[in-house]
Amino acid sequence: MQANLQWLDDPEVFRVNQLPAHSDHHYYRDLDEIRTGSSFIKSLNGSWRFHFASTPSERPLHFYSPDFDSADFDTIQVPGHIELAGYSQIQYINTLYPWEGKIYRRPPYTLNQDQLEVGLFSDAADNSVGSYLKQFDLDDSFKNQRVIIQFQGVEEALYVWLNGHFIGYAEDSFTPSEFDLTPYLQDQDNLLAVQVYKRSTAAFIEDQDMYRFSGIFRDVNLLALPAAHVVDLDIKPEVKDDFERGTLAVTADVSGTDAILELTVTDQNKQVVASQTQSGTGKVLFDSMPFDNLTLWSPTSPTLYQLLIKVYNNQHQLLEVVPYQFGFRRVELREDKVIYVNNQRLILNGVNRHEWNAHSGRVITMQDMQNDIQTMLDNNINAVRTCHYPDQLPWYELCDQAGLYVMAENNLESHGSWQKMGAVEPSYNVPGDNPHWLAAVVDRARSNYEWFKNHPSIIFWSLGNESFAGEDIAAMQTFYKEHDTSRLVHYEGVVRAPELRNRISDVESRMYETPANIASYLENNPDKPFLNCEYMHDMGNSLGGMQSYNDLIDKYPMYQGGFIWDFIDQALLVHDPITQQDVLRYGGDFDERHSDYEFSGDGLLFADRTPKPAMQEVKYYYGLHK
Amino acid sequence: MDYTNNQLHVIYGDASLGLEGPNFHYLFSYERGGFESLVVNQKEWLYRTPTPLFWRATTDNDHGNGFDVKTAQWYAADRFTTCQKIELTVDGQLVQPLPIAPLNNRYTNHEMANQVALTYHFVTPTVPSTSVSITYTVTSDGNIKVMTHFAGREGLPELPAFGLRFIMPTTATGFDYQGLSGETYPDRLAGATQGQFHVDGLPVTPYLVPQECGMHMQTSQLTVTRSTTQNNADQSKQPFSLTFSQADQPFAFSCLPYTAAELEQATHLEELPLPRRTVLSIYGAVRGVGGIDSWGADVEAKYHIPANQDLDFSFNIHF
Repeated sequence: MQANLQWLDDPEVFRVNQLPAHSDHHYYRDLDEIRTGSSFIKSLNGSWRFHFASTPSERPLHFYSPDFDSADFDTIQVPGHIELAGYSQIQYINTLYPWEGKIYRRPPYTLNQDQLEVGLFSDAADNSVGSYLKQFDLDDSFKNQRVIIQFQGVEEALYVWLNGHFIGYAEDSFTPSEFDLTPYLQDQDNLLAVQVYKRSTAAFIEDQDMYRFSGIFRDVNLLALPAAHVVDLDIKPEVKDDFERGTLAVTADVSGTDAILELTVTDQNKQVVASQTQSGTGKVLFDSMPFDNLTLWSPTSPTLYQLLIKVYNNQHQLLEVVPYQFGFRRVELREDKVIYVNNQRLILNGVNRHEWNAHSGRVITMQDMQNDIQTMLDNNINAVRTCHYPDQLPWYELCDQAGLYVMAENNLESHGSWQKMGAVEPSYNVPGDNPHWLAAVVDRARSNYEWFKNHPSIIFWSLGNESFAGEDIAAMQTFYKEHDTSRLVHYEGVVRAPELRNRISDVESRMYETPANIASYLENNPDKPFLNCEYMHDMGNSLGGMQSYNDLIDKYPMYQGGFIWDFIDQALLVHDPITQQDVLRYGGDFDERHSDYEFSGDGLLFADRTPKPAMQEVKYYYGLHK
Repeated sequence: MDYTNNQLHVIYGDASLGLEGPNFHYLFSYERGGFESLVVNQKEWLYRTPTPLFWRATTDNDHGNGFDVKTAQWYAADRFTTCQKIELTVDGQLVQPLPIAPLNNRYTNHEMANQVALTYHFVTPTVPSTSVSITYTVTSDGNIKVMTHFAGREGLPELPAFGLRFIMPTTATGFDYQGLSGETYPDRLAGATQGQFHVDGLPVTPYLVPQECGMHMQTSQLTVTRSTTQNNADQSKQPFSLTFSQADQPFAFSCLPYTAAELEQATHLEELPLPRRTVLSIYGAVRGVGGIDSWGADVEAKYHIPANQDLDFSFNIHF
């Protein structure tokens, strides 16, 4: 198969040869490696050869060919944003599309008849192209194995070649993309070539209120797969009505040869509380395992059980070990229209969190994540919404361990297609009811579910943000409901389509609603519990009046709290030649227009991760209903 | 001068009234319409005469809901309010007319009093205009009681703030106060703890766009400490302090190197001028900051400052 540049123009092409999304479990050659690190993983982070082109027509053709002369290529650090490496203008913009006033564009299959527009992105003046090259040799342990390449995050569309052969294509910037390299792999001198486009039709549904970057901005790994390998692990813990007993259902999807899977579960005292052996390949189901005297997972006591699967071949050689920490907890929306977790009314002392670092943008480190978790715990924050995209893989595990509820949002925001100068104007809204955009958005729901389905911290799936409402979003809810009975589904935009009220969102979710209007909803035969997906807009010197929201908690059981907007200011540290200081810059400071200027400075933390003075107020009110 | 009788030495100047004690000397100007000099232990505390303040540097929420536009005339009032009348009271007796030259020829260099009060009457350039009076009552121990009165008037927009602004000639090394932890506002103080706090320097809260910041609500006492002066003959770097205490009610204050107008002017922190002064603002009324959203939601009504009602506050300055 050859790569086709016009995939950029087609909302129905968003993954080509990409491997299916699967659970985020780690796997190791033996037990020791759990401590020392998996030898099945080789990081490709670091220096890559790089070429920047302002438009697709200026991109280097055949750069993926082993005989291509790349002498004029620069080097760039992966992961990183192309803009922060100095190649392309930095832009911060909120609702309007980043090409506002520069290019007239409508999403395919909306106003512009029932057809594609060739060149909409594939021949566009604002679609810069990063061409990346990386040479690598295989470690001995990778030779003669199936080898997968995993891109954990690339904005906004990527094409991959290996040794001159086209491998695949992916969109969905915030979801890992994996491709099988095995057919074209050599032991030495492999040439990996990646072409990253700043825009594709995905731009219409990735219009998040944030800096607009491009490039390979999360880790890149080579993954070696043993002869038999657990590709996907589906862990379904269930808590019985007495909240003391439960069952555990586990399904492993095994690739490769027939395997013997030895499963054990140990509790927090390292006592084995369940064990079972199954064999086979493909879907391997374990018999339901009963549990007594459960210790439940909750924010105040985030108890996790350790599951371990040892995978053997028929000669009983150990091929891999797969550990996973899971938890038992029960989320219910009861007859009284109140959400309960573990038999207690849910109160969300939450915050929205963008991934951010003032030096490196959305390229953040494990230390950044750990700091953020600690800041949340220190300030009685018990819930985080991953606005408005899936976070880096480790985030969910950190939340499991720390005891933070997660509202796991898939990567979707299309407000530029229906929100214009404050008015609701959905004349070319996507995804809407549009059949041509359906598969792309359901795929985003699927990826979010498949990667993160085993995390006890996730109690809500969120269908995205500010994307209006229609049949396509209803189909996303249907996907989650068909696959998961242990969590609720959240979406705010259902207010735009009252006829879909019973098919989108288990909760009444609003943003920036006044306490008086919330009370009015709750006083008038509410049909769903209420939560604020965004409230207390902490822009600059703000966060006054939290008392009024706190009062609602005490007055209305169906009021379940909310998520403050937001966790950290998005601003960039830049050297100022006039004062000779490193200073924080915001939208418009890079001469980019249109911009929404300082509107990204809404955090409880300043962009350098120091808390704003208002944090003591959050700590106080969030401490009243732990 | 011998102060064994424990009285104020009153100097009836041609353009100002001087008040002197063992370690202090104050000048109340007729010419400049205000409290011109506050010297304690040979250290000057006033850069220019204190004036009523009505403005706060626009917050992002103020900007979003148009509060800055609706109340723009208070921005002008903050800068251009002028003193129109001065009253002097010595030991309870109103001295009328004001003893400016040549009326002061009747005095000597040995005039003494137990208590002297000066009231400065300001008129705002708002439409309609209103008045503010500031009364300084000095007792022989050097204590200055400051009483401020705002005359409420129908037809005026709500006030962004109301207080008195003291600009000190050099930057403070820090300040200590008895009150609430951190930066607090009427609608954002529940999380603060009560106590005695020290702040190093004059920190400006680094909001992305400089704006109103550094408020400390419910303060009973504040001590500002400096170590430098502008006096060319004073090379000492020894710290020296001045204290502001509550009179009837606790007060709110901010202690920053900038006026509201200076903060208003900058779009980034690094555009602010080099810190040179100490701007101590003592407030009788503080508006909440709000928080529902930043594009229209108002601050909750109970945290507004209506301008159709009188406002009074007072505090003491001592050392």
